[in-house]
Amino acid sequence: MANKTVQLEIKRQATPDAPAVWEKFDLEWRPGMNVTSALMEIAANPVTADGRSTTPVTYDSNCLEEICGSCAMRINGKARMACSALVENLEQPIRIEPLSKFPLVRDLQVDRSVLFENLKAVKAWVPIDGTYDLGAGPRLFPQDQEVNYPLSNCISCTCCMEVCPQFNEETGFVGAATIAQVRLFNNHPTGKVLKEERLRALAGDGGIQECGYAQNCVEVCPKQLPLTDAISDVSREVLLQKAKDFLRG
Amino acid sequence: MATAQNPSTPTMRPGVQPLRAGQGTTFLWRKLHSLLGIVPIGAFLLEHLLSNFEALKGPAAYGAQVRFLNSLPLVRVLEWVFIFLPILYHGLYGVYIWLRGKSNIVYYPWAGNWMYTAQRYTGLIAILYIGQHVLRQRFMGISLPENPGAAFAKVQHELANPWMLAVYIIAMIAICWHFAYGIWLFAAKWGITPGTTARKRFGYICAAFGLALAIMGLASIWAFVGPTYRNAPDIAPLSYFAAPVHAGSHTV
Repeated sequence: MANKTVQLEIKRQATPDAPAVWEKFDLEWRPGMNVTSALMEIAANPVTADGRSTTPVTYDSNCLEEICGSCAMRINGKARMACSALVENLEQPIRIEPLSKFPLVRDLQVDRSVLFENLKAVKAWVPIDGTYDLGAGPRLFPQDQEVNYPLSNCISCTCCMEVCPQFNEETGFVGAATIAQVRLFNNHPTGKVLKEERLRALAGDGGIQECGYAQNCVEVCPKQLPLTDAISDVSREVLLQKAKDFLRG
Repeated sequence: MATAQNPSTPTMRPGVQPLRAGQGTTFLWRKLHSLLGIVPIGAFLLEHLLSNFEALKGPAAYGAQVRFLNSLPLVRVLEWVFIFLPILYHGLYGVYIWLRGKSNIVYYPWAGNWMYTAQRYTGLIAILYIGQHVLRQRFMGISLPENPGAAFAKVQHELANPWMLAVYIIAMIAICWHFAYGIWLFAAKWGITPGTTARKRFGYICAAFGLALAIMGLASIWAFVGPTYRNAPDIAPLSYFAAPVHAGSHTV
């Protein structure tokens, strides 16, 4: 079988302020090749298609099986996980760019810490710290497990935020991932002790009201989270919480 | 070039800012925008399209409907509080919402994303159309509150211009689209249809409703430009028998 070539075009940027340049790479095709493995091959032999030696491409990746959420990037224009982007399913040349909505660190690596800040802002955790042993937690009903499990699959890849027309510097929108985690922790028998605080947080500037329901988030999510369902449910609860707060004075 | 920095004042983060938990008032303004689109603006649109439909019965019936509406108690207050001001707010805040969004339909040409974009363009068509429509039909030319019999001829003269006719047809379709998808959005974003199946079913209902409104609206436009009531009198004589009993004085 003749050796097939895989063509890649990668947007490079040495520092956050450096000008962006495109570099082309030709790799030998291998069965089962994906974008992360292609980037590893470039790292092993960083030579461009025109034979020029270059630096290895900087990118985030870890698990290589779409479970850690590190390797989100734009591949042929669309945000997705590089590890599950099989080369044989992609149109060539494969154009690879960093996510566009997050501060660039270098090449394909971006700073996605805004998601962590947002999760902290809505207290996306189950509070169990105490001065004594609190004992076993309450039972979780199977019906609640059915709701919670898909939401717990979020890998914090930020694809839902990248594709959202409302997630930008003007709105400071919190994004679908954080809203889904509010739905998850509000449905947890111990986590729901912070329910009201989470709902009030989401009514702040950049909160759930900024959603324009373009539904790109649910289309792009690599883990098929029911993001639009979560936005609807949490929207209603935020509204009811604000109404209660207003009437209670 | 390290500069001394007070650790208690964090530097401005680059990129999109995190959620300002519980702070600010955009929640209130955004929800008000959303609600006004349904009530009173949507309710008024329904009334307007139903009233327009009277045009199919001819100049006298249309004039009687205009007279009935203008005979409502506190009609000028109703007009400003429930029509002009809500539309002005909904329109201006809608443009503000549009300017803050960054459309990416080129990269993600998905159905929901198209509807998101369409909602912005149809809204812009609506606000531009409504601006000229209110100016020319309500505040310029013969005053219809005083001369309801002149309503049919006034609209007919307007639509005699083929450009204006095209504007009315485009605006009618755009506004019915905007309203129908607006109802769907309202239900989705206020948590009335939180499930995928519910949203899909309600989508069919909204589509059918919007289509019905658009067909009714276009039929009303046809009443003014079609052959049935060509050259309507400038002021149609209104029969009090055709109007509701509370529409005016019992003397002719």
